[in-house]
Amino acid sequence: MSGTVTPLPARPGLLAAQADFASIGRAVAGGPDRTRARPWWIAFAGACGLLAVFAAALFWLLLNGVGVWDNNNPVVWALDIVAYDWWIGIACGALLVSTTLRLTGAPWRSAIDRVAETATVLAAAAAALYPIIHLGRPWVFYWTLPYPNTLALWPQFRSPLVWDAVDIVSFLGLASSIWYLGLLPDLAALRDRAFEAALAELRAADAGRGRRRRTTLLRAQAYGILALGWRGAVVHWERWLLATRTLAVLGLILVVSLQTGASVMLAGSVLPGWHDTLLPVTFLIGSLLSGVGVTAALTVLVRRALALEALITERHLAALGRLMLVLGLASAYCYATEIFASLLHGDAFDRAVVVRRLAGAHAWAFWTIVACALLPVQLFWLRAARRSGPAVALVGILVAVGSFADHFMLLIVTLSHDFLPSSAHSYAAGAWGVATLAGSVGLFLALLLIGLRTLPMVSIVETRRLAEAHPQGPAAGEAAPREPETAPAPLWGVTAEFASARDLAAAMRTVGSLGARREAYGPVPMPEAAEILGQPAGHIPLFALAAALAGAAAFMAMCLYAVGIDYVFDIGGRPRLSWQSFVVPSVSFGMLCGALATVLALLVENRLPRLNHPAFNIPDFTRATQDRFFLAFEARDDRFDAERIERALLSLRGPRALMIRRVPR
Amino acid sequence: MRQLFAPGADALFRLALLTAAACLAALPVVGAGLMRSSYVTGVGVAPAQPVPFSHKHHSGELAIDCRYCHTSVETQATAGIPPTHTCMTCHGQIWSGSDMLAPVRASYARDEPLHWTRLNKLPGYVYYNHAVHVQNGIGCSTCHGNVTEMQLTYRANAFEMSFCLDCHRNPEKYVRPKDEILTMTWSPPANQAEIGPELVRQYHIRGGERLTECAICHR
Repeated sequence: MSGTVTPLPARPGLLAAQADFASIGRAVAGGPDRTRARPWWIAFAGACGLLAVFAAALFWLLLNGVGVWDNNNPVVWALDIVAYDWWIGIACGALLVSTTLRLTGAPWRSAIDRVAETATVLAAAAAALYPIIHLGRPWVFYWTLPYPNTLALWPQFRSPLVWDAVDIVSFLGLASSIWYLGLLPDLAALRDRAFEAALAELRAADAGRGRRRRTTLLRAQAYGILALGWRGAVVHWERWLLATRTLAVLGLILVVSLQTGASVMLAGSVLPGWHDTLLPVTFLIGSLLSGVGVTAALTVLVRRALALEALITERHLAALGRLMLVLGLASAYCYATEIFASLLHGDAFDRAVVVRRLAGAHAWAFWTIVACALLPVQLFWLRAARRSGPAVALVGILVAVGSFADHFMLLIVTLSHDFLPSSAHSYAAGAWGVATLAGSVGLFLALLLIGLRTLPMVSIVETRRLAEAHPQGPAAGEAAPREPETAPAPLWGVTAEFASARDLAAAMRTVGSLGARREAYGPVPMPEAAEILGQPAGHIPLFALAAALAGAAAFMAMCLYAVGIDYVFDIGGRPRLSWQSFVVPSVSFGMLCGALATVLALLVENRLPRLNHPAFNIPDFTRATQDRFFLAFEARDDRFDAERIERALLSLRGPRALMIRRVPR
Repeated sequence: MRQLFAPGADALFRLALLTAAACLAALPVVGAGLMRSSYVTGVGVAPAQPVPFSHKHHSGELAIDCRYCHTSVETQATAGIPPTHTCMTCHGQIWSGSDMLAPVRASYARDEPLHWTRLNKLPGYVYYNHAVHVQNGIGCSTCHGNVTEMQLTYRANAFEMSFCLDCHRNPEKYVRPKDEILTMTWSPPANQAEIGPELVRQYHIRGGERLTECAICHR
């Protein structure tokens, strides 16, 4: 396709017409500056106030024990487990959306995947506190993990408490990996932008205008360290694509395992109301709905706060609205089926639970689900509502509230009244329980606001890939190549700068390698250039698979050894090797191992971190993370002939290089 | 300034990453080691006592029976710390002017017990009964070590749960005949594998499965 322009579909309303690589970078990377306004400080102060409530609630909890939440017997699982399930449900749902969209290659994911992944990490962090603080003695929380102890004891691997501990550690590890790997090229873009600012300041100071501030450079270096020296080489991008997709598969498996595992955990008890065979699906859909709701609300917030209307368009909001509508309908189906099945062939206790859910002491929970989750999403039948930011955000928040009521109903209604009237005991959430919940919301919000101010909340890379797939407006001007600069030897290589990945690939085809080692750098993946240079071996998924299998097998083997061989312990006549109860934590741990292996393999194969590299000597190389593509001919041996390469680049017909340069070592 | 980072930055950064990884890996190793060290467990450390009492001299060289002082070891949960009267049965007659024994005489005169620093302490949630162990084939030295060799008394074993469980899981490896209970130098004989199970049967010990139930020790 060299020289010709393949007609591409016009932008399907997912990106403003005038958006190009540079403007996308400016809009997202400059976003943090726009959050210095007063509303940010007001919101941050509010979040910090909630955090203070959290601190007070935790202090009171440590002083007095979990009784302050008004948990009782039989309602031993109350607000703590409800809140944990709620947070982890939101995290799972958001991760499921992001991974599914990545795997299916939906073009509109560009606007929401960073928001969804951030929501995942933050919700998981809020959830992670609960398994610790709901313990009677939180300071010995590490007793739930297998560690070399002097008690000759293992954690009780059949206990959901241990599942929770392993699951949450694995989930946090995997979600952070996905989030950080996606962020890596964006951090490089932020680094280069900050470095440009530092250089401009330096030039101004040399010219006697303004003064040099140390913090500008430190800021660039901080982003630089976080970006691990990412320089956007072709193979790096190819491996990055492979790694992000691998992580998405691992995340998908983990989410399904966690949510179905949670429902199976309930079904493992004898209590009524927790045994419907549809329950695993109900859990997954409920989690997805709450995850999409929170993601939608945050997307609208990001769009509004960072003024990103050009990148997060009404089409994105409409897609989120449709998703909520579909999931809301699916959720309504699940509730209806469960009620119908219980009434049709459930036993008397099951039917009693249904009646108590609909009309008992905690009936408000069920009707909150109806009023906050099932009904409001019907608004999105209307086109106008789907395209309205406030409507999408409001319904998103309502859906999250409804989801909380769902978890409350599921646990409390069953627990507060089981089989015997004598063991029934009512439950009302205590003030300290509510304070703890509010505090965990404060934690989520505070971290989110800090992220809003320091990190790109919309994926720059994904948005640029969208812009590249749907070009708009006139092609970049036919700039005549400038004469090569003569630099003192020794040479690292000769580089040519291009306006687009297609120009670069065309030039690579025309010029050939000319006895040098070729490498290309750019702000987005360059599949054409990768084809010419040779695709990297696809080791990463294999590493991930091997690590996931080994990790899961090792965890399962450890559980079996612990309960079946090392410390045989008869609990209610359960079988000695009850492998079924170890499946969920084994899968979780396997996925964590897979994720760590993926990240490690990506870094090792790409020889990262590499903070100082000859490629960074290329003049204007900071634009390699912005809107320019660089082709480098590296001097490897005596056959390297700089003049010949420059002549070949200068004589390019069709798309031409904007700049040709000799780069010193 | 051409590059954001100087060439040496990579070496530093990688060193920092490796150090962080090494620290992370070392954390559990160091923690586990510390928890097993005598700094935490107190094994082998002889604390200061009001009187430098020597088990080596009294029960080793003079061969005074353990039960002469620890009178309740065969009948009660605690072995018993001797009252000053027990000391004075001899030291009223010999070494009666010794400066070293002045605190003992003072305790006797004031009718106030000596304040020994306790060596072997179990947590409150552990139920332990000396009589049950001593009557059923577990000798003094299994837990307290060979006190006849201790000039000053120190803790011979860290009484951690794994220590108790070693024996509770496999009592046949540790039980002795009745007449060996007080033998400080006892070690399992070559034919312990044969006589052990027989002794377990004689003592009516119901085996590892029963002895590792939680409620055996945590009542």
